[in-house]
Parts: sequence; C-alpha cells; structure tokens
Amino acid sequence: MKLVPAGEFSFEQLVDAYNQTRVDYVVPMPMNVARLQEYSRVYDVDLSRSVVVMNGDVMLGLGMLGVRNGRTWITRLGVLPNGRRQGVGQAIMEELLGQSAGLHAQTIWLEVIKGNTPAHKLFCKNGFRETRELIIARRAPNLKAELPDDLRVKSVTPLDHEDALMLLSHRRERPNWLNEMESFHHVKNLSALVVELLDGGRGWVTYHAGLLQLTRVCVEVTVGDPAEVTAAILHVLHQRHKRQDTITENLLDDETWEGFKTAGYFEAFRRIEMNRPAPRN
Amino acid sequence: MKTILQIEDNLANKLLIERVLEPHPYRLLHAADGETGVALALDEKPDLILIDMGLPDIDGQTVVTLLKQIPDLENVPIVAVTAWPADTAEKMARQYGCDGCITKPIDIRLFPAQIAAFLEND
Repeated sequence: MKLVPAGEFSFEQLVDAYNQTRVDYVVPMPMNVARLQEYSRVYDVDLSRSVVVMNGDVMLGLGMLGVRNGRTWITRLGVLPNGRRQGVGQAIMEELLGQSAGLHAQTIWLEVIKGNTPAHKLFCKNGFRETRELIIARRAPNLKAELPDDLRVKSVTPLDHEDALMLLSHRRERPNWLNEMESFHHVKNLSALVVELLDGGRGWVTYHAGLLQLTRVCVEVTVGDPAEVTAAILHVLHQRHKRQDTITENLLDDETWEGFKTAGYFEAFRRIEMNRPAPRN
Repeated sequence: MKTILQIEDNLANKLLIERVLEPHPYRLLHAADGETGVALALDEKPDLILIDMGLPDIDGQTVVTLLKQIPDLENVPIVAVTAWPADTAEKMARQYGCDGCITKPIDIRLFPAQIAAFLEND
C-alpha cells in the first residue's frame, strides 16, 4: 500500500475513483470533473495535501484536505470496493491528520452522513467528537407559488453580491465549513433580499441563483419570531424564483428550520459535524 | 414499440436494467448524465423516463424539475430509480412530481411488471 498526493492525479482520475467509493453509499452523490473542481476551489481543498492510496497501479481509496487559517477539514474520504477491510480508511486518516499537524492546525473538522456507522466509528477512533447535526434540505419548485394571504410585507430590498457578503459576515451562529465566509468569497454572483414585515418582523436571505437551482440559501432573522419570519422571507424568495429547484446544506435544527419547513423545504438527510482539537504539547 | 429513456450514470445499473428488459418489446435509450438526458428526452420524446436521483452533473431532482416544465414532455411519466433509503426516496419522488419510485437494488422479478404498469398508466 502506497500513499500518493492527490495532486499527482488528474481530476478525471480522482472523479472516477471517488465515484467508485460511493457506488453503494448511504446517500448517492456522484460528481463529475466540473463539480469536483468547483468543490475544491470553493472549499479550499489542497490536493497536494490530499491523498490517494494505491496498490501498484490500482487505486484503493482517497481522502481530501481543506486548509484554512488555523484549521483543516477532512472531506471526500472513501474506500473503493476493492480496498475495503484492509485498513485503507485508517491509513488515509493518519495521513490527513499528519498533514494537519504539519500545518499546525488548531482544529480539524469533518462531517459524516448520519447513519454511516463505519465512517463514524473510524472518526471516533481517531479522536473526533460530535459537535452538532446539520440538515441538508431541498425544496421542489412550485410554479403556482403565491404569497400566503396572511403575509404582510412592508418592504423587500434586493442586494448585490458585495452586500450579501456583508450580511453573511454578521451571522450570529458559527457557520459550518461549507458556509464559512471563506467559501462565500469563492462564490460568484450571490444575491440577497432584506425583508421587512408590517408586524415589525425583519430579516434577510442570501442565495445563489443559477439557471436551474437556488443554492447556498442562508436566512437570518434580526427582529421577530425566528420560525415565522424565516418562513415569510423564504416565501418572498420563492415567489421571485418559482422555476428553480432549491438545495441548501448544513442548516441547524433550530427554530429557523421550522420556518424552512413551513416554506416547503423537506429534509433530504443529515450530517454529523465532528471536530478534533490539536493535541496540546 | 414504446420508448424508455434511462438516465443513469452507473454502468452496472444501466446494464442490469437493459438485461432485465431485453425480452420485452421496448426501445431503450440511455443517458449517463442529466444534461444528455434532457437533450435525449427533448429529441426522442420517450414514453417513460427512468431517472437516477444521484447524477454526476446535475441532481436528478433538478433534472425532473426541468423535464416537468417542458410542455412537450408534461405527459411523460417519470420514475425515480434510486438508492436513497425507501422512505426518503418516496418523499423525494412525491415532492418533485415523479410518477413513481423504484428503489435500488431493483427486484429483477418485479421490475418488468413495474415498468409495464407505468407505461399502461401513461
């Protein structure tokens, strides 16, 4: 078994291997080259510190490492069917933990899909502890979407990319790696709406509107009931974007999530966020 | 002869469905990603679309969304064929307006009858 930096492989090779690691996965999520390139760019994946496990010319597994100021993030870790039960997952973990130590990372983060018991056990064995559960939610488009009759909107103010970043930088909750400011700085054409309700409720939503999908939906309520104002803001958003499918990742299971559900979102699956502080010297 | 479009990125799954349906009088088309699937659906106007929800370029759900908004295809039944857990798969299919859902691994004994039923309802 030999460990090779992932940067020595083409994106085509990495995608092919990654998709093979997910053929029997709990949540199907194949990628293509464009998706993996985008993923690596937005989430600061350092392929020179990521690893592919080889047996001769055959790939057995891979794991990737995101690197940001003072912290790292283990992602896309998987073992191909022909590499299972040979300690490949542990070898990848040891390499990525070693890379993190070399970078003097104070905290190492990762997420595991809820229900993926083998991966969860591997991470616990390597010193990771659960921090919180995160929801991946979807909302199918509704061409007939109208604002609810009892929703009284005082004003809606559309904002551009720079203003959206400004709003995101003032969030109260600690964002997950995917939703940190570093990620949003790598995304183009974010939009935002600041919504004020007649009853005094107020808040905002930031999002990325693609041709087919709304993604990166983040809501923050600044005044009013979190669930009710969230639902109101999302109704306003989807009234303006009736044709797009929506996916939003890593929501917290809090009052805001109730507002998402009221606005037509449903839970696709959950991730468990975990971290491991650096050992003290 | 009825035409079935299979949008599926996994070669083994594609071949399995082709083999199971081989004895039946269907014309089978295949697309390995969402973009090709939409293009083939527009060109060929199949009688049934089988779609994997996990596609490498565009989520299957988003492809369904797009197909359902194309007037020429509004009466074509779309069936999600997916490895999501059964309860999630059914919820997903319902929310996105699919006409049905078959979970993987498919039951090769039941699959032809399931397909025939969707085509009869068309």
